Amino acid sequence: MMEQKMNKGWASQDHVGEIKSELLELNMGPQHPATHGVLRLLLETDGEIVYKCTPVLGYLHRCAEKIAEGINYKQWVVYSDRFDYLAPMCCNHAYVTAMEKVGQIEVPERAEHIRVVVAELSRIASHLIALATFGLDMGAWTPLLYMFREREVILDLLERISGGRMLYNYMIPGGVRYDIPNDNWEQDVLDFVTMVETKKVPDYNNLLSYNKIFIERLGNVGVLSVEDCFDYGCTGPVLRGSGVKFDCRRDDAYSAYPKFDFEIPVGEGEVGQVGDCWDRYMVRMKEIEQSCRIIRQALEQMPDGPYQTHELKKIIKAPAGAAYSRTESSKGELGHYIIADGGQIAFRHKVRSPSFCNLQVIEKVGVGMMVSDLVAFVGSLDIVLGEIDR
Amino acid sequence: MEALIELLRSLPGASGMSDQTAFIAAAASMATIMFMVMALCAIVFTWMERKVAGFIQNRYGPMRTGRWHGVAQAIADMLKILSKEDIIPAEADKGLFIFGPILVLLGSLLAWAAIPWGPNFIAADFDLGLFYIFAVSSMVILGLLMSGWASNNKWALYGAARGAAQMISYEIPLALATIPVVMYVGSLNTTDIVVAQQGGIWNWFVFRNPFLFIAFFLYFIASIAETNRGPFDMPETESELVAGYHTEYTGMRFAFFFLSEYANLFLVALIASMVFLGGWWAPIPGLPNVPWLTFVIKGILMVFLNMWVRWTLPRVRVDQLMHLCWKVMIPLSLLCVIGSGIWMMLSGQAGV
Amino acid sequence: MEMKAIYDLLAEHLGAGALGFMDEGIEAHADIDPARIVDAATFLRDDERLLFNQLMCLSGIDWDGYDENGKGKSVAILGYSDEGQPETSDRVAEGDFGVAYHLYSHSLKHKFTLRVRVPRDVAKLPSVTGVWSTAGWHEREAWDMLGIRFEGHPDLRRMLLDEDWEGHPLRKDYQMPAMYGIVPMDGKPLNKNPFSPDEIAKPPVREEQPPAPDDAPTEGE
Repeated sequence: MMEQKMNKGWASQDHVGEIKSELLELNMGPQHPATHGVLRLLLETDGEIVYKCTPVLGYLHRCAEKIAEGINYKQWVVYSDRFDYLAPMCCNHAYVTAMEKVGQIEVPERAEHIRVVVAELSRIASHLIALATFGLDMGAWTPLLYMFREREVILDLLERISGGRMLYNYMIPGGVRYDIPNDNWEQDVLDFVTMVETKKVPDYNNLLSYNKIFIERLGNVGVLSVEDCFDYGCTGPVLRGSGVKFDCRRDDAYSAYPKFDFEIPVGEGEVGQVGDCWDRYMVRMKEIEQSCRIIRQALEQMPDGPYQTHELKKIIKAPAGAAYSRTESSKGELGHYIIADGGQIAFRHKVRSPSFCNLQVIEKVGVGMMVSDLVAFVGSLDIVLGEIDR
Repeated sequence: MEALIELLRSLPGASGMSDQTAFIAAAASMATIMFMVMALCAIVFTWMERKVAGFIQNRYGPMRTGRWHGVAQAIADMLKILSKEDIIPAEADKGLFIFGPILVLLGSLLAWAAIPWGPNFIAADFDLGLFYIFAVSSMVILGLLMSGWASNNKWALYGAARGAAQMISYEIPLALATIPVVMYVGSLNTTDIVVAQQGGIWNWFVFRNPFLFIAFFLYFIASIAETNRGPFDMPETESELVAGYHTEYTGMRFAFFFLSEYANLFLVALIASMVFLGGWWAPIPGLPNVPWLTFVIKGILMVFLNMWVRWTLPRVRVDQLMHLCWKVMIPLSLLCVIGSGIWMMLSGQAGV
Repeated sequence: MEMKAIYDLLAEHLGAGALGFMDEGIEAHADIDPARIVDAATFLRDDERLLFNQLMCLSGIDWDGYDENGKGKSVAILGYSDEGQPETSDRVAEGDFGVAYHLYSHSLKHKFTLRVRVPRDVAKLPSVTGVWSTAGWHEREAWDMLGIRFEGHPDLRRMLLDEDWEGHPLRKDYQMPAMYGIVPMDGKPLNKNPFSPDEIAKPPVREEQPPAPDDAPTEGE
């Protein structure tokens, strides 16, 4: 039998060793209510305990990297939305930041502020879904409806500024496509942000976060040590849940983030060990509050000026060279490695998606868990298959 | 039951019926009425569940079918389910597959025989009433296991195994919580249990002594677990097992599971009102009282509480569920039994 | 620490294995001999002055047809022609394969980039899965997309494409398949657009909406 240290479960290693049983091969298939997207998990279980967990990917592979070698930089922005389709503005932001680094394009201040506002709104929307579906996996049906109510408001706000409800194609290398509409958009965003901070987040904490059953389900489950996180390249709330204060917005200081004052929440092991599923959940909840803070500062300090760089020609060419640039998407560190050859089409464009690296941990940590805990763990990693399969 | 026999004999041309025929005819009509009541309660409670869920989740629920707040939704659902194709998986064990839901339905239906709707209004008034109810509702566990096994589906097997373990375990605190009441009444006859609570709300068993108060809540929690609902719906958790033990069922067979779930729900709610909340007696003695209506209203209130809990709380994991039953609820219910007995002795009510 | 300083330490350790440090351009990188990559990786991870504990990204690159002059004249990829046939080309692919490693240190907050190049007919290099476990899936993807074989990888098989897929799509000489199983592939959408080009050009006319039925719930219900 394996020498793995099992997470808290009621079957001890000796008990399983005495009774000779066969391992049941289960398929948590591509269509399954709990795997967030078309993820297939091949499990070998003995009763409730999982002994091997292998993710099978590729059901949502759409060849975005090959497409990047066939169309020009400006046209590819629309594909960047489709990666993390729950926080598309963050993905847009990642791509245009990388493209501007390779192409050495300047961006006006106003455009940077607008980018920050919409990216943070997208981040809030993504975290709302993450928390809502996580609660749903745990059997709490009601927070899902409440959080989707808030997400509807965000989608309406983003529709007013970009024209799309869920996939925006809003940022371009050199600025943003449209300016802020003059139908009181900024005040509406401020009102929404105030409502979320003062009324909704305490509401969710009362209903779900500190509920005894929820804490029992998630405390001490799926503990990720800091070494495992670094080794497997986990970033984002997964890494912060294990206690590491790392955020690309602070450490890489891209866009307008250096101007704003915000905290980086980390997991503190409030209901169990540091790095369990509850910590990751709470980090996301606190990040919603921090995003509200950033949005408020970005709107208050919004400068006047152009929203696109003046030198933006119809055809954007990037000089020969290569650069890797990363930004903090809602799931973690989203990086683009672009190799340019002087023309308008990238030579090689590699996307480093956070969910791809976060999911790999499941092959190690999933061993020894119960099936219910595995569902909780996958939910706490907050993966999006669009990013993983690209 | 005797009243029904009299009624049948008074029908034109039936006065010469022998005792046996009259008995069988009365029993058959009683069973039919019970089945219709079960179907009716499934219809009412599906609608109620969807409305309650909707309002808790800040939305409306069904609104369109049937003019006012979607009252015809359940009937529409029933018609839809009846029109579905009956699929039996190729590798499934046919006999068990067909028989499983029947057993589940039977287990829920038979227990209704001993529920007292009013002073002389009970299908089968026999001295083992309460014990009979708990014994017979265990048949549901057999049916559940059969369905899960016969489906030839690993997820269904998971659901069936979990469900069987859960239901068997929670039978114990369920029954133990009603023992103090039986100690007070001195008989398992359900009519006697209700009659012992006459005289107003302070005579209801839930308020008679603090141990019975605790026993009421233990009973409530065990009943949620027994009906596989709410925070204890591990066997049929959508997010893990698709649909648990009834994954492979379609059409009428699925409707059997559905019917039996809501029938069970109403059954345990009625038992709670009968044993703890005064049965058909009104809270204040002088009020004009239609016995069966009061009883049904109390049952509906308990069902509402059940639904409220379901849509608020997240799910308990299987091993935590077991821990809760064996290490928390059973000791507590034994404590209630002992404590209640001591209270009875000290307050001079022993020897009733 | 500056990248040049990091490179100096690495060159000191590797000796002949460090092939050079390219400083021009937006991002500096170090070129390493592919046979010594595991050694370099272990040194970069374990040395106390460097402590590169996270491999941010491992990218496979096909350098075939890269325009060295920076004029944007790299070889175009092959797609489908207008008639729906996969494009073919007589050009023989001859560029190298490359792999780029981007490293980051959480403790010391510095970054570094490594690059290796292997000739096309060899297409093999040692795997760094033993150094950073995250390389496991990145290398699988590089194998899947580009056909670069990583020796010592515990589980090198296709990841994003089907197990029975032929070819490595991100190569510059990859020809699109004409059939996948029994489905013909022609670069066109699988279902026809129901509108003719004239209808598409004409703007739609909004018809009068019929009045709502009486029993529809109004806002306040």
